Amino acid sequence: MTEILNDQELLALYKDPATKEQGFTGIIKKYQEKLYWHIRRMVITHEDADDVLQNMFIKVWKGLENFREDSQLYTWLYRIATNESLTFLSQQKKRNSVSLSDDENGLSNKLKSDTHFDANKLEWKLQLAIQSLPEKQRLVFNLRYYDEMPYEEMSHVLETSEGALKASYHHAAKKIENFILNN
Amino acid sequence: MDKQTEINIELKTISPFLANMKKVNVFQIPENYFSDLDAKILTNIFLQRDEKYHLQKVPKGYFESLSDQIISRIKEEKTGSAADEIKSISPALFYLKEEPVFAVPHDYFDDLSDQILDKIKGEKAKVISISSARKWWKYTAAAVVAGAVTVSSLQLFHHNSVSENPKETITASATIPGYIQQSSKYKTPEELKAGIASLNDEEIVNYLESTGSILDEETITKNLDTKELPDENDYLIDENTLNKFLNSDAQSLNKNTQ
Repeated sequence: MTEILNDQELLALYKDPATKEQGFTGIIKKYQEKLYWHIRRMVITHEDADDVLQNMFIKVWKGLENFREDSQLYTWLYRIATNESLTFLSQQKKRNSVSLSDDENGLSNKLKSDTHFDANKLEWKLQLAIQSLPEKQRLVFNLRYYDEMPYEEMSHVLETSEGALKASYHHAAKKIENFILNN
Repeated sequence: MDKQTEINIELKTISPFLANMKKVNVFQIPENYFSDLDAKILTNIFLQRDEKYHLQKVPKGYFESLSDQIISRIKEEKTGSAADEIKSISPALFYLKEEPVFAVPHDYFDDLSDQILDKIKGEKAKVISISSARKWWKYTAAAVVAGAVTVSSLQLFHHNSVSENPKETITASATIPGYIQQSSKYKTPEELKAGIASLNDEEIVNYLESTGSILDEETITKNLDTKELPDENDYLIDENTLNKFLNSDAQSLNKNTQ
């Protein structure tokens, strides 16, 4: 019954060689959905999200040995997921020789190629609006709007001050509103 | 104030439009994606080449109780497919099943059937049934002996008609090979056939080995009676067909020699 264990209990299971896999499986099951959706909103397609998520957990497996429990497991996992997503997007940009200004168009095109895409629906316009934001702003908006993450935790994830994060969220929300109302 | 309420108030302050929008997830995911994810990740970790970690040591008494555990799990669970079974016992093994370990040359299976058929055709040229062998050897032996008899008869006739000297006749007879002297007693084709039929296989083989030539080989190939051999499709499909054929042929051979 690893789903009901808290982070400390899961880490204790992981650190015991006899129960290492059990502890790791428990961590995956507890955080897989939140981390998946966080990655998916950044990379858009399921296949890319699956790749990033699996790579992310492989790094977690290797890195958990050195994880210092002075920070929360939750924020540590989110940081790895965020970094893996940004690395993936950066590699895609290089592969496609896409400039920073065109990156949003690349992700917007991925959205539009989704079989369920409907430009007339508000929820799809919202996604297009989010993809029009710079990467950091997009992250801040997603973490606050979808994951309802407190700024204190967000500052550990994105290694940015709380004040900067609040300002970034404010600007992001305004841009999105304008995008939807003007498109 | 709880976290959710605080965030809602904040958004209403910035953008009432966004705050009032219903949150709808537009992204689709495969069914049961999350249920198998942990096993897939563990399998990937296990397969990583630079990963030196070996899965945890087997606890004491593990194998002693393993069979009982498996049997009780099987009884508890409903009957399912083999895939469901291994998946429930070991998700890592389920996914490892698909990992290729043995390399196969490119297009190996595409050409395999043609290669096998070519080999079979090549072997078929060497496979000669015993009864057919007896027959063509007899035909060949008959052709060669008949030819030798004809030539020797003509020579004898020529010598007899040309030379009135008995001494010369005797000398000529002395130089004639034994088989030709023997064959001269066959006056008719029927007598010749009967004479050949009385020959045993060893005599025919010895004769042909001592006098065989490429022409004989050609005669052999032409006279091969393949009708009695099983069709290649039969013994390709059913390996017992060829065995049955060989066994039945051996039985008929035993009857003839008794």
